[in-house]
Amino acid sequence: MSITDTERTSESAGPVATRSRGRRVRRGALFVLMGAVAIVMLYPFWVMVVDSLKSQNQFLAGHGFSWSSWRTLTSTIPIVQEVISSTIICAVSIALILAVGLPAGFAFAKLRFRASSVIFLAIVSAMMVPLQAILMPEFVNITRLGLTGGYTGAVLVYAALGTPFSVFLFATYFRGVPDELIEAGIVDGLGYVGALWRLVVPIAIPAIATVTVLQFIQIWDDLLVGLLFIQNTSERPITVGLAVLAAGRTTSIPALMAGSLVSALPAMAVYLIFQRYLVKGLTMGIDR
Amino acid sequence: MSTTTLSAKPRRMTLRRRRQFAGALFALPAMVLVVALIAVPIGQAIYYSFTQWDGLSSTWIGPSTWTQAFHNPNLWTALQNNAFLLLAVPFALGLPLLIALLLHQRVAGWKIFRSIYFLPTAISWVVLGLVAERFFAYEGTLNSIIHGLGLSHVTTNMLGYESTALSALGITFVFTMIGTNTMLFLTGLATLDPSLEEAARIDGAGRWRVFRHITLPHLSRFIQLAFVMTVIALFSALFSLIFVMTGGGPGYATTTMEFLIYQTGFAQGDFGTAALYGLILFVLTAIVGIVQLRLIGSDE
Repeated sequence: MSITDTERTSESAGPVATRSRGRRVRRGALFVLMGAVAIVMLYPFWVMVVDSLKSQNQFLAGHGFSWSSWRTLTSTIPIVQEVISSTIICAVSIALILAVGLPAGFAFAKLRFRASSVIFLAIVSAMMVPLQAILMPEFVNITRLGLTGGYTGAVLVYAALGTPFSVFLFATYFRGVPDELIEAGIVDGLGYVGALWRLVVPIAIPAIATVTVLQFIQIWDDLLVGLLFIQNTSERPITVGLAVLAAGRTTSIPALMAGSLVSALPAMAVYLIFQRYLVKGLTMGIDR
Repeated sequence: MSTTTLSAKPRRMTLRRRRQFAGALFALPAMVLVVALIAVPIGQAIYYSFTQWDGLSSTWIGPSTWTQAFHNPNLWTALQNNAFLLLAVPFALGLPLLIALLLHQRVAGWKIFRSIYFLPTAISWVVLGLVAERFFAYEGTLNSIIHGLGLSHVTTNMLGYESTALSALGITFVFTMIGTNTMLFLTGLATLDPSLEEAARIDGAGRWRVFRHITLPHLSRFIQLAFVMTVIALFSALFSLIFVMTGGGPGYATTTMEFLIYQTGFAQGDFGTAALYGLILFVLTAIVGIVQLRLIGSDE
């Protein structure tokens, strides 16, 4: 595009040299503009790093540098336990979402049964129900079942909230798989469970990755479910721990920023490594 | 009619029934989970919205709970706050559109810039709320910038005043949405056939006309999807920001519907009214949700 562009304009307007200089100036301006946007987008990280490298006194004074909030981090915030909690909650919830969503997506795409399209539509619509809309009954139900102590209640709620999207994504994905492939497997004596496990799961790896990445970021970063459905402070996930300390307004800002950075790192790593799956998941349904 | 087809027919019937049975069985766990934890609570919320309910025992009151709720000024404040925040939506779509167009020029290093722009998407809104609080604080970055511009007599404290706290929340919301929406628009731009724009340029169309008549129509579905996702986030994902930044205050200045539900239920213990507010939020998002279903449906 760039070559033809220069050639064409050079016919009508001045010599090639001035044109390409104009292009270079324009590219340079774009670069500067993009750099400015980058500074804005990196601002949160800058705040976290700079503020965490101060002691409380240095922070109040507005200058100085110290490792003290990092050194005392584990005693200010139970960060190790909270990261472990977050990891367990994420892993179990995602496992449940995949275990439930994968067969269902497969069924809605390839093993259609009576009323399956209506049921599919109903499940997909559940994607639109915000937790806050059903928060009170949900909370009372889970409490009555005695599941608000440890992880179980939160995991169930996360699984239920994540299932509609994963069913939708898997069903959309499997529609692109030829029927013959599945038929052949079933006729070959694999049976339905065998076909699911040996044929469908291997094909679905990209979709599984998309669901996993999206749900990991969603659950790792969530506050509301963890705040209400995990009453034991010893089993609190990291995001909830940070929010509660921040709302309490007694913990020093540098310590909170150090904790924030620790909580942000896993999700950022997952995000950077699996960026393309994230994009795929977001545009699923309109970009195929 | 050969005998083979005749004998094959009943076998094929049983095969189809077996397949349907397998399909229903495979879909069952997902159905159970969604019914038990999403559908049933909606029904319960409707029932409890007509009762006096503290989470333990409920007494039926009837439709008067609804008239009472609509006479509560806090509900109207929350709805007003939600309506005001809708003003952030054009910015939450417009800025990402500009950024996506910028990235789409593919200047040297654009892939690195892309990763940087999307990075805040991975961070919890709890953390972004904490950072935003630092930005707007009395001794924070915003005031440093203002003073740096030579306006040393101006000092803001946006989160501290009823008149400005909601705007600060809206600005933070726009920032948190930039990554996701830019990602959507960039994906949309990538599916645009460059020869189309090229052809228009040959025909003498200027940059603006190419954008207006080729790029924008091509992006319309992506813009619709981004719009729906942004509005739903605005109605149901601000909890983390509010919890960390303002706690709903000063006064009720930053209490939106979703935060009002939390406060009414868990701070005041009025589960019945909170359930009722939940239903109002449900209706609001359902309206937006129907638009999205149309969007998905139009694709089939």
